[in-house]
Amino acid sequence: MLRIALKSLWARKIRLFTTALAVVLGVAFMAGTLVLTDTVTRTFDSLFATVYKGTDAVVRGQSEFNGPQNTGAQRPRIDASLLSVVERVPGVAAAEGGVLGYTRLVGKDGRALGNPTTGAPTLGGSWSTVPRLNAFTLVAGQAPSSADQIAIDRKSARDGRLAVGDYATVLTQAPPRRMRISGIVRFGSADSPGGASVVLFPLPVAQQLVAEPGKYDSISVVAAGGVSQAELASRISRVLPPGTEAVTGAQVIRETQNDTRKALSFFTTFMLVFAIVALVVGAFIIFNTFSITVAQRTRENALFRALGASRRQVLGAVLFEALAVGAVASVIGLAAGVAVAAGLKGLLAAAGYPIPAGGVTFLARTVIVCLLAGIGVTVLAAYSPARKAGKVPPVAAMRDTFAGSTGYGSKERVVVGSLVTAGGVASLFVGLFAHPANALQIVGLGALLVFFGVSVLGRTVSLPLSRAIGYPLPRLRGVTGTIARRNAMRNPKRTAASASALMIGVGLVSFITIFASSTKASINATIDRAFTGDFVVDSGSGQMGGLDPSLAAQLNRLPQVEAATGIRLGVAKIDGSVQSIVGVDPTTAFQLFDVKPVQGRTSDLGVASIAVYENVARDKHLRIGSVVPAVFKDSGATQLRVALIYGENRPAGNYFLGTAAYSANFANDYDTQVFVKKAPGTSSSAALAAISRVVDRYPGAKVLDQSGYKSQMAKPVDQLLSLVYVLLALAVVIALLGIANTLALSIFERTRELGLLRAVGMTRSQLRSTIRWESVIVALQGTALGLVVGVFFGWALVRAMSNQGIDQLSFPVASLVAIVVLAGLAGVLAAALPSRRAARLDVLKAVVSD
Amino acid sequence: MAVPTIDLTVGQTIAARTVDAVKIYGKGQIEVRALDGITVDFARGVFSAIMGPSGSGKSTLLHCIAGLDTLTSGKAYVGEADLSTLDDQQLTLLRRDRIGFVFQSYNLIPTLTALENITLPLLLAGRDGDRSWIDQVIATIGLADRLDHRPDELSGGQQQRVAVARALASRPHIIFADEPTGNLDSKAGADVLRFMGQAVSELQQTIVMVTHDPVAASHADRIVFLADGRIVDEMLQPTPERVLERMKQFGE
Repeated sequence: MLRIALKSLWARKIRLFTTALAVVLGVAFMAGTLVLTDTVTRTFDSLFATVYKGTDAVVRGQSEFNGPQNTGAQRPRIDASLLSVVERVPGVAAAEGGVLGYTRLVGKDGRALGNPTTGAPTLGGSWSTVPRLNAFTLVAGQAPSSADQIAIDRKSARDGRLAVGDYATVLTQAPPRRMRISGIVRFGSADSPGGASVVLFPLPVAQQLVAEPGKYDSISVVAAGGVSQAELASRISRVLPPGTEAVTGAQVIRETQNDTRKALSFFTTFMLVFAIVALVVGAFIIFNTFSITVAQRTRENALFRALGASRRQVLGAVLFEALAVGAVASVIGLAAGVAVAAGLKGLLAAAGYPIPAGGVTFLARTVIVCLLAGIGVTVLAAYSPARKAGKVPPVAAMRDTFAGSTGYGSKERVVVGSLVTAGGVASLFVGLFAHPANALQIVGLGALLVFFGVSVLGRTVSLPLSRAIGYPLPRLRGVTGTIARRNAMRNPKRTAASASALMIGVGLVSFITIFASSTKASINATIDRAFTGDFVVDSGSGQMGGLDPSLAAQLNRLPQVEAATGIRLGVAKIDGSVQSIVGVDPTTAFQLFDVKPVQGRTSDLGVASIAVYENVARDKHLRIGSVVPAVFKDSGATQLRVALIYGENRPAGNYFLGTAAYSANFANDYDTQVFVKKAPGTSSSAALAAISRVVDRYPGAKVLDQSGYKSQMAKPVDQLLSLVYVLLALAVVIALLGIANTLALSIFERTRELGLLRAVGMTRSQLRSTIRWESVIVALQGTALGLVVGVFFGWALVRAMSNQGIDQLSFPVASLVAIVVLAGLAGVLAAALPSRRAARLDVLKAVVSD
Repeated sequence: MAVPTIDLTVGQTIAARTVDAVKIYGKGQIEVRALDGITVDFARGVFSAIMGPSGSGKSTLLHCIAGLDTLTSGKAYVGEADLSTLDDQQLTLLRRDRIGFVFQSYNLIPTLTALENITLPLLLAGRDGDRSWIDQVIATIGLADRLDHRPDELSGGQQQRVAVARALASRPHIIFADEPTGNLDSKAGADVLRFMGQAVSELQQTIVMVTHDPVAASHADRIVFLADGRIVDEMLQPTPERVLERMKQFGE
């Protein structure tokens, strides 16, 4: 039977090629993701190991808490006086303090480099004068040695067209200043650390500009000969005051490497989800192709049975075929994965995360996982068709026709489909609303089950759906439309399976479209509701840094401005939970934001005060004067008293601080955004002109009006949306291959019929049109099911996130209509090749062959 | 979609004809001359039959004259239209508008009802056709109560009668039938043949039928006998006995 299976494979190699392509694409994507992640991990591992090679110990503040979303441990700065203490420890050959913080460099064209909101960070730090401790290597010029000198990384030099000797504007928490570039550096073998821009100042300047005078972020230590890292760290620990720690250089390397892995793991999971989606879509296509070919080979298989092959042998032959297809496709996919990795690398670079050059890392794990996934999916999807092949009775060899499946499918199918769908919905709800530990996996499983359940039910609704979707066709297209519609209806099982593959892609696309639209609507609603001002000055630096507070002060002095207020943003642990917290200036903020005070006075927001959202206050039984425990990175644990309870939590969140409390607890001293309200009687254009004159002195800052602010806020959503679209395109392309494949198989089956149509006068273009419309019906059927699932997913996720600021459910009708139209066009595209082949059919052969 | 610019309506008595038609399959040693110089006319309003032993070229002749296949050399005409000058599109429109077909089996589109199958060429042309003519044809085949049925709900004989009705529906210039009763039992076959005879005698249609069945052939007005790709004989007003007698001479 093995030889027979191989022979039948070879006989249908073209058909199998399109089937295999689905697996190839899925596996290639999976392999590409893994190869890229492994390559990046290894590259950065060795990079960090190299640059911190000379560091034997590091002294730093103890972690107060871990920041949200992989921002890592939040540590207070340490006092500069500790340096002399450390230097006196026996075994210390050299020690040096260092600082690192937000800095942005302005390129030659006057534009600030980098995009810290969505890309790699923009950093500024101290130049290390101890060569063994310096992570950077000069490639041109000299080390910065005077207060107006800086060294910059090679990537920034290239991007900003800056050279040694040039003057460049540097943005920090202090007012912008022009500084001379004394040198250009690289980070180990890389042009910059992970795409970040770096400006290096002499230590005292760095302390003043990016940190605070008299403080270090850390002290790096070189051991004297014969003293181990562990010994050194333990000796230093003994002399350190509470709240500080000494760790070995090896540990710092390990921590940095782990941080990279954690940052990458999000990316890996994200990409693997799409690889899995592609494979699941591929599974539908494999199932359909094998079902059809098995049905077409009913007589052949019956003949084998009649000649003495056992049921298991026939089943085994089909499964072996699947195994061979899966194996070949997976191997090709693995190879293609290397190319995919290169493409993804380009994608990451375009997103602002260039990856340093290095060899491709191809781990055995990648090979095993991809082969298992590719072959497993193929064999699993072919199992049910294979069983059906085995069940063919020998007597079928004598019968001419096999009964295709018609009607609505069995009752059991409806029951199973409903149960699976219900299980999926339940799992989805648990994952979304019950906040379990592994919510992502539970939601993923739920989504998978819903897709699977709906596809099982798809068989039952296929007939009425085809009928309904094709309803206008006879009127529009005459008899070709009638034939197209009836062809889509003649084998509902096949139509449903084709449609299901597309359903997944469309479901996810419409889901993400609805979610993105709702997110943007929520952002807009928040701005509309809470912001009564006219303009926003945005630092363009995300949460990393911001605008020098002198900007807000200058704006307030303008006669065209009624009020300007800076907003500061930091991370803190409030009442046990880590969150972003806003700091506002109580003297100006409430002229622009209506937080709807319920109790207390805004003017009471002093140095040890906090404002609490009404609902939170109710839940936690907080009143004016209640104590709220808080931990800040810079100031450590403290207690704040509730001074204000307010009723509008957007955009302030659940808690906020006044400037006094913010400054007391955060070392940074800049505004993320400045909100501006124009003076009454001033025209918008006059106000804008006046504001712009001030803001133009702060490179990187941008003045936005309300609608500009809205679109600025929506930009990351749109960026993510287009990325997801690109990735989902893969699933849609695979589904289209499936439709094309099914059509080709159906056309092969209908050779006689098509020949007859041609003989009695159907023109080639009419024949093509018939197949095209059939394809459109199948595609729209998948789209209809996908939209139902997508709308449901979108609704569920938006509801689940209503307490995270996404409180508007918005159905972007135009986008959803566009999805339907595109799906219809995709159907036309899928029919292109099959319909051409059908039109080229030899009429005579088709009619007389017997 | 323009009907080919050929004049088929000129008053004449010849519905289709071939001049020195040659059809060669294969090359060199395996060359087969399926048609070896056939010149034949098929007159309008006549029920003609083409007979001959297996491999005599009778089906090839039918296919070539009906525009389903092309000649190696020589000419084939439907009306005044020289088929060798028509491209695929023009041939298709000629088949749709001027020619009716009845095949041995698999004559109907399974997804269309009997009525839709009957009117298929008209539907493809986007025309309503002559309603009273179609009613007349339907009345003659006697399946008025089964028009909404799909082919798989009809018997073999009923299916062939629907096929003949389809061939007639567009009131074509000529109808070609290839063994139309080959898959039917004798009773059903007789019904179909009687109906074809009626179409010619009562509805003034023109039919050319290929058959190897003497009984079927005897329904025709005229029989052309083929052997080895050549016309070897002709018979007018045949009877089953005479046909059988003639066929015996081929050694069958």
